[in-house]
Amino acid sequence: MIPFNTIAYGLTIGAILYIVSIGLSLTFGTMKIVNFAHAFIYTVGAYFLITFLALSQNNFFLATIIAVMLVIPISYIIERFVIRKLYGVSIDLAIIATYAVLLIGTDLIKWVWGTSPISLSDPLGGRMITFLSISLPLYRIVVILLAIILFFLVSLFFKLTVIGKIVIAALEDKEAVRSLGIKVDKYFSFIFILGSCLAALGGVLYAPIISIYPYMGSSLIITSFAVVIIGGLGNIQGTAISAFVLGIVMALTGIYWPPASEVVVFLVMAVSLIFKPIDV
Amino acid sequence: MQNNAEIILENQYKDKNLFITLIVALCFILLMPIIGVQHTIDYMIFCIYVLGYNILYGFLGRLSFGHMLYFGIGAYAGGLFARYIIPNPLLAMLVSLSAGALIGLILGPIIMRTTGACFALINLAFNKIGFFLAAVAFDKYTGGEDGFPVRYIKLDFLNFYNKYVTFFFVFICLLMVFYILKLLTGSSFGLIIKSIKEDERRVKFLGYNTYNYKLIVFIISTTITALAGFLTTINYGYVTTGFIDPNRNVEVIFAVLIGGADSLYGALLGGVIYMGITNYLAIYIARWEMFLGIILLILALKFKKGIWGYLEIIKEKVIKRG
Repeated sequence: MIPFNTIAYGLTIGAILYIVSIGLSLTFGTMKIVNFAHAFIYTVGAYFLITFLALSQNNFFLATIIAVMLVIPISYIIERFVIRKLYGVSIDLAIIATYAVLLIGTDLIKWVWGTSPISLSDPLGGRMITFLSISLPLYRIVVILLAIILFFLVSLFFKLTVIGKIVIAALEDKEAVRSLGIKVDKYFSFIFILGSCLAALGGVLYAPIISIYPYMGSSLIITSFAVVIIGGLGNIQGTAISAFVLGIVMALTGIYWPPASEVVVFLVMAVSLIFKPIDV
Repeated sequence: MQNNAEIILENQYKDKNLFITLIVALCFILLMPIIGVQHTIDYMIFCIYVLGYNILYGFLGRLSFGHMLYFGIGAYAGGLFARYIIPNPLLAMLVSLSAGALIGLILGPIIMRTTGACFALINLAFNKIGFFLAAVAFDKYTGGEDGFPVRYIKLDFLNFYNKYVTFFFVFICLLMVFYILKLLTGSSFGLIIKSIKEDERRVKFLGYNTYNYKLIVFIISTTITALAGFLTTINYGYVTTGFIDPNRNVEVIFAVLIGGADSLYGALLGGVIYMGITNYLAIYIARWEMFLGIILLILALKFKKGIWGYLEIIKEKVIKRG
């Protein structure tokens, strides 16, 4: 018997992983750095959500938009004053610097919001949808649909807009694009901010499903890196497929041996690296 | 086969290396009455760990975010051997070192094929797997999160319940590691790994099989790190998941950066400074993570060479003026 219900739950995890991983994949592919600060943006998005939920009389939609918008100046500061300073100087130092930002950010969150986990109620009132013996909360279906819509929007963005085309070209050969007189770094910072907004959106959407705590980003980010490495750096389609497949794998492992669900991702990553080494 | 030039090079440096090692030894002996035996042992073990890390990061230019795995493997291999087979400290040390070398040999071919960001992440991923194995999968043997006590038998004069014996044992280990690394980095082997850091393609062009060199450096690094893990079990008498915790990787990175990544002295200095900060300053710092983060950010953005790097620059300026 195939556990359809578990697969459906796995798709939700995959959807969140996909939304968070887009930004990581793009910064990884274009700038060749591992951006640990992404985890901070993801967490702070969720914390902004609970703050603005309280201020806006539980208007989830409004609070989401405010949370995602507030991330823009934060990610701009990180890009402008940390990453761009080290970009081209040393990849290793840039990675360490983003990790330092994560440490500082996590501690700021603990300072402002406290360390105890916060749970949120389902914004759609916990309604269930039953379809062919699969019973799933409506909210999870909305999350999956949102991820699919985002996938098409992102794909269209890279196909149709000039910014998207420049970034795709820069993923292939940055020097060639620069020699055409295009300021690549400007587009990279735009992509960085876009990816950060999506990370915050991922945090916001995942918040009602799990509880919010200061280290939620640190634990998700490594899974998300695995998604990026398995899917291929800067590969939008590959990231989507690997996110959903890994989400299902995690959910299936969760039935048989719950504590192993996070680790199985790294095993998949190790196996994929044996067969397909990445040279950055 | 060594050619004549290499032999001359080595003979020339051997005496100098011994002399430098003696100076380092003197520094640690002088440190003991100032900060106490127990602290000095902690500092020296951490210095071994930093030296093992630095050979990979400082000399080969590979940033690992998962070196606690190798530290933990050293601790768990030695501890489990003593607990379930023979509580003989020297045999346990041998097991621990072999485990460190073996894990380098097994994971090296996968890990050393990657560079840069991927390298950092793959180490972290393996560290997560290792942590899971120690904390959850084999908790029947390892005691899970609580860990287990390690008791070594007394071997003649090797009685590790005496802090001074432990001190001298760790002290000799540190000096040996330092001396071997000093020989290694001063030799032609050291020159090649430094050249690989600068430009791997050119070294390949000269006819060297760079992959073998990288693999050997990785195995040396994991073995030294495992030694540090084993010495920790002697020092504390227990093993817990804290010895393999992936969140502790930032400590050694911090130490290497603050000391200066390009030299062995920088690694020693960084190890002592980091331990000093955790021992004497941590009580006054309410927000520890933020403190670490801010210092790391300053080191990465403005203070790239570390303390030893700047000392060397000052030294050169003084020499030029004089």
